[in-house]
Amino acid sequence: MLDKGRIGLHQLTVLAILFTVGSSVLIAPSSLAYEAREDAWIAALLALVVGLLAVGLYNGLARLFPSATLVGMARLSLGRWLGGAVSWLYLGYFFMLSALVLRNIGDFMTTQVLPKTPIQFIHIFFLLVVVAGIRNGLEPFARAAEIFLPWVMLFFVTMVVLLPPEFHIENLQPVLGYGIKPVLRGTISLFSTPYTEVVLFLMIIPLVRKRDRSGKALLTGVLIGGLMLAIIALLSILVLGADLATKQAFPSYSLAKKISIGDFLERLEVVMAGIWFITIYFKLGLCFYASTMILGELTGASDVKPFYLPLGLSLLALSIVIYPNFAYFVTFASRVDFLYSLPFALGFPLLFWIGWLIRGRLG
Amino acid sequence: MQRKRQALILLCLCVLGLAPGCWDSRELNELAITVGLGLDKSGDNVKVTTQIVNPGEVASKQGNQGNRMPFTTISSTEQTVIEALRKQTIILPRAVFTSHLRILVIGEELARDGILKVMDGLSRNREMRSDFYIIVARDAEAEDILATLTPMERISAYKMFKTLEMSAEEWAPTVDVEMDQLLHDLANPLKDTVLAGMVIEGNKEVGSEAHNLDRSKPFTSLVFSGLALFRDDKLVDWLNSQESKGYNYIMNNVDTTAGHLACPDGDGFIAMEVTHAKSSINGSVDQEGEPFIDLSFQLEENVGEAQCEMDLSDTASLERLERVATRQLEEIVRQTIAKAQRNKADIFGFGERIEDAAPREWLRLKDDWRERFAKLKVNIEVDLKVRRIGTTINPLSDRKE
Repeated sequence: MLDKGRIGLHQLTVLAILFTVGSSVLIAPSSLAYEAREDAWIAALLALVVGLLAVGLYNGLARLFPSATLVGMARLSLGRWLGGAVSWLYLGYFFMLSALVLRNIGDFMTTQVLPKTPIQFIHIFFLLVVVAGIRNGLEPFARAAEIFLPWVMLFFVTMVVLLPPEFHIENLQPVLGYGIKPVLRGTISLFSTPYTEVVLFLMIIPLVRKRDRSGKALLTGVLIGGLMLAIIALLSILVLGADLATKQAFPSYSLAKKISIGDFLERLEVVMAGIWFITIYFKLGLCFYASTMILGELTGASDVKPFYLPLGLSLLALSIVIYPNFAYFVTFASRVDFLYSLPFALGFPLLFWIGWLIRGRLG
Repeated sequence: MQRKRQALILLCLCVLGLAPGCWDSRELNELAITVGLGLDKSGDNVKVTTQIVNPGEVASKQGNQGNRMPFTTISSTEQTVIEALRKQTIILPRAVFTSHLRILVIGEELARDGILKVMDGLSRNREMRSDFYIIVARDAEAEDILATLTPMERISAYKMFKTLEMSAEEWAPTVDVEMDQLLHDLANPLKDTVLAGMVIEGNKEVGSEAHNLDRSKPFTSLVFSGLALFRDDKLVDWLNSQESKGYNYIMNNVDTTAGHLACPDGDGFIAMEVTHAKSSINGSVDQEGEPFIDLSFQLEENVGEAQCEMDLSDTASLERLERVATRQLEEIVRQTIAKAQRNKADIFGFGERIEDAAPREWLRLKDDWRERFAKLKVNIEVDLKVRRIGTTINPLSDRKE
């Protein structure tokens, strides 16, 4: 194993929560409301159920291939060359994902908070901190996650507790008024980000100490993260209504702007932005970690540290060129992402399973 | 040697971080804190007026020193709102900063022309929050409203903000519409909207001069008056104060208010204080597929002032008052709905209620909703109770020996 560090079950859960909430907390409510309108929260819950099924699949795979990462699984089930090819594809997938996540935070900052600051500098400073956090392996990173999770929860609970004065219950009606179809479209959009990306944890599970119980820990983490996303979707509809939630680029930020208690507890939005600074930090860290580990394993390197600088620099460049403008990203996220992620989330894992069955029969 | 080199590199990195400066730093003394914003039509362009706080004047504890104004209003005209806002730097030494906006005034002419175009720039603007109120300058330009000096609150935008908040609470016929709500209504092509109207009473030229405040009764004042009724994004009609009250009763906006009834016998009026008002709107579709609305009201009132002879210690006379008040409320509500229906403007969101109740029927109804709204059947049910009669029992005019 390249990474000598080991993480505990609790740490796996924490990482899964932060990863699931990740960048979706910022962007997901908008596309959910666009598709499912008043039923965005139902769509979010459905997507969570589908996401948990996918997690079940990954847990099964992790049991079939004990102590093997994605690369190991691919090679064991599909053979050295085909497995290697699939691993390279996964490298591309995670690396692209890193770039998208990094660009999300850059776009958010340049649109809402620091309009005159060049986006490159936001990326550089954010990535510097990410690389500093991940370069000593997963173990210290997971410990940091344990320290930061309570803060995320604190901000999140603050938001939930302070918003009820702004609720408009009638925004939720009609419930399932237009049938199930729009809800399913919303489910697909949320399933493609973040639930398909949970496949990344196949790189993490081999490092868990009590691996026989890692399945439950991962499931718990995704469940908690997914519930938080569903709550954010529900709040967006309750406070902003389906129309406004659709029109906003960052609905949860607008949500925080609405907090106003007795004319003195207001303008908390940047404090609330703390939630996604932290969650995006950990999501980006995990994506970047997975990319370097796959590259390390594929090249047979004995140490991945030399990879951080070149990969980090490429990531900076990629994050700038990955999409030309915000409209392009919206189209990608709503139309392309699902089909693009599907092979990685379900196709290849199923292929590994079949490969394992055939190998078992033969040998 | 190695250590020295490392330290040098670290130093270089630190300097590199500082050298480009802070892109987004904005010092307080570079900002023109804008508390009021006005939009007017000017030919094909839009005239943007900003009301900017004069920092030295507001901060000083001694109050009005010399004859300086508490705020300055600046106007500029351009094709788009954002251009006009930036153009103001050719007049101002500071850049317009709109995060602390309290009130947005839309000139009547522009409102009649349509406000959709000008609202987009504001909703897209990062600096703009959504916690300010939007009003319409009735028979006036937004510029003149923002230029008028007001007593009590030196910054007139704050005055308008607070007056609106207070009158929406204590005196029903105004509405405090925030940006989000307006955008919500504009986003829905079948939901129309209302905004509070404001008139200038007195000479508008004098209003902007310092001597407007030189006497205890200002020459010119700003007064809220009626509600502007919008169909789509265009102002089409005004609701008078009775109808405005009716609108607020229907929308469940009434907190407390007061109204009067004609005395059941004899001259004079009885003022009723509404202490509790609640309404609910339910939409539905009947067997023939025709939509209808059920409006129900629950009110509690107190007798506030009785100018006529009447035995208020008698339950029967209170019941009579209840009947009169019920009839009057129904009348106000009918009158309001009739006006909206005449203008084919669904300001109450009746369509949304029907959609909530029967979404599939709604898909069929929404195509000619405006026509249907004009003929919509509305059932009104009032449950009104007169509870208390104040601190005296019988009217002062009841002077039986």
